[in-house]
Amino acid sequence: MTLTRRSILASTALLATPALLRAQEPPIQLGILTPLTGAGGFDGPRMLKAMQAVANAINEQGGLLGRKITFAIEDDQTNPEAAVRAARKLIDVDRVPVIMGTWASAVTTAVAPVCWESKVFLTTCSGADSITQLPHRGFLVRTQPNSNLQGTAHAAFMASLGARRVGILSIQAPFAQPTQDRVTEVMKQNGSQVVAGLIYEKDKTSYRSEIDQVLRAKPDMIYLNGYTPDVSVVLRDLYRAGYEGAKFTQSYAMTAKAAETLPKEVTEGIYTGQPSADIDSTAYTSAAKLLGAKELDGYEAQSNDWMSLVALAIARAKSPTGQAIHDTIRRISQGDGQKVYTAVEGLAVLAKGAEINYEGASGSCDFTDIGDIQQSKFRFNQVRAGILNFVKLV
Amino acid sequence: MSDPTEILQLVLNGLMAGTILAVPAIGLTAIYAVLRFPNFALASHATVGAFAGWLTNTMLAWPIIPSLGAAFLAAGAVGVATDEFVLRRFRAAGFVTTAIGSIALTIALENLLRMAFGNDLRQYDLPMTRDWRFWGLHLGPQQVQNMAAALVVMAAVFAFLAFTRAGKAMRAVADNPGLARIKGIDPVRVARIVSFGAMGLAGIGGMLIGLDTSIDPLTGFRVMLSVFAAAVLGGLGSIPGAVLGALAIGVAEELCLLVLNPNYRSVIGFLAILIVLVLRPAGLLGQRT
Repeated sequence: MTLTRRSILASTALLATPALLRAQEPPIQLGILTPLTGAGGFDGPRMLKAMQAVANAINEQGGLLGRKITFAIEDDQTNPEAAVRAARKLIDVDRVPVIMGTWASAVTTAVAPVCWESKVFLTTCSGADSITQLPHRGFLVRTQPNSNLQGTAHAAFMASLGARRVGILSIQAPFAQPTQDRVTEVMKQNGSQVVAGLIYEKDKTSYRSEIDQVLRAKPDMIYLNGYTPDVSVVLRDLYRAGYEGAKFTQSYAMTAKAAETLPKEVTEGIYTGQPSADIDSTAYTSAAKLLGAKELDGYEAQSNDWMSLVALAIARAKSPTGQAIHDTIRRISQGDGQKVYTAVEGLAVLAKGAEINYEGASGSCDFTDIGDIQQSKFRFNQVRAGILNFVKLV
Repeated sequence: MSDPTEILQLVLNGLMAGTILAVPAIGLTAIYAVLRFPNFALASHATVGAFAGWLTNTMLAWPIIPSLGAAFLAAGAVGVATDEFVLRRFRAAGFVTTAIGSIALTIALENLLRMAFGNDLRQYDLPMTRDWRFWGLHLGPQQVQNMAAALVVMAAVFAFLAFTRAGKAMRAVADNPGLARIKGIDPVRVARIVSFGAMGLAGIGGMLIGLDTSIDPLTGFRVMLSVFAAAVLGGLGSIPGAVLGALAIGVAEELCLLVLNPNYRSVIGFLAILIVLVLRPAGLLGQRT
């Protein structure tokens, strides 16, 4: 190689500007696998934006380990088969160290083994108990409370409304039976009972006969444990069947958008429950500001937390691999370190060599050994005239 | 055991569902009769019809009946276009290639709709009504109206096939394409007519389903298994067979709730296909295998 004046000049310039040199290092590519279509199509795109907002904020402050964060994004279609294909592509082609965003329990159950076998970390908001009981060897955390925690909170809430006879209509999903069992147990402790429990199939155009079956038990409260497309059909059929009692469902099945567009008479009075973002926390306010929104829902808050946790774990380990995230995630999410509320703030503290404890927008993000969150708040709303109104936070 | 009222209610629900299913099933079987392949793109054409009807109903404030007409025309027009530019090229490569091509086409169309309308559930501008109650049974006014619309459409299809030149030409091509050609019937023209009519029926079916529930880009896809099962059960290529098959599938899917857990309802569609293929591949009223 011959040295020319020009090449010497160029090398000197590069050496003199380490920041520029760093910027030319390849970016760190992370995987996002949210439902952009299918039953999760309402939440997925917003979750994606929440993760991108955190990454942008980090990139503006100089990136992660001096490298820019970029994403490989796939649509899981709220469909396990499509999700596994997408996950394989993210892992084998894009070589991502982490996949963030699976939403439906059936999807997460299918994707998780693909991840742990490749030592790729997975962050999810699926609730089924069975997910964290999989032999995932620590390559999975979820920020959503499991079905057991949710069933307990929901049943206690329904009992507090005076429900004595609860009928449950659930979609066929991994969370259906565990939630039904837990609700039955807690209702019994509260002196009430579950008088009918039925698991239906998704994608049907009518649930009239299923509803007839449940209504024969004369419930005074019906718990609809499904997703928006089916719950909207069930609600219409309940109205047509003349049911006048109380109704309760998951917030992801009765989103603000669904409440607005469904006929008012079918949604009137329905209660919704959701694991709540910690709305009084600094983390919540910062995350909302980052998204330019007044309020975040639980999924945006959780997505904000995944991206933050992953970035902080990578920074703490000084290595962008799935194994590194696996090894360090609990060192930055819990413990005696300095409390931090955003990824950017945490990265600054880590850069000084101090330990951190990330407190997230969705909650404190402290994980058990199997990857469940240790505690969660629940927010209950009620639809009145097509609008979700706050009832209480538990 | 179940009381007679419960069984009657299930049969009633099944007949309602079956008549609506029959409309797109006729479309599927008509395409098979003339063009000799199962056009799975029927699913997305049903959705196209549902969205076209939704647009005229909510944006232009058209009542339901004219909106059903819009659903027919829009889905029919898209049907002709997709057959002309996509599926016709596949047909030369044979049955399997065309069937697979139609699956690809349906995914493409579904995603185009998604790009245009998003994933949100959409409702027609219709008042919600409580069911009528009589003799311990209940029945929705909207269901009855949908069933009536489906029956009128079916009557129109039979009249078209029996009394019009185009209808007779279609039957001639279905019976014996070679002979029809010798008699001067243009197979390309007949292919266009059948694509238009069959996909138009799918569009009406999509909208009828949407009227009772709500629509999104997956509306047609959700019923495709039942529609296919209905057409296979009745005998692919037989239009009366498609009606009979749809009613049978509709009632069987409801009656199965007496013995099966509701989360196994779809098993009926698959079982019907399996039994027909094993015992009587021509279907109930089909002549060809």
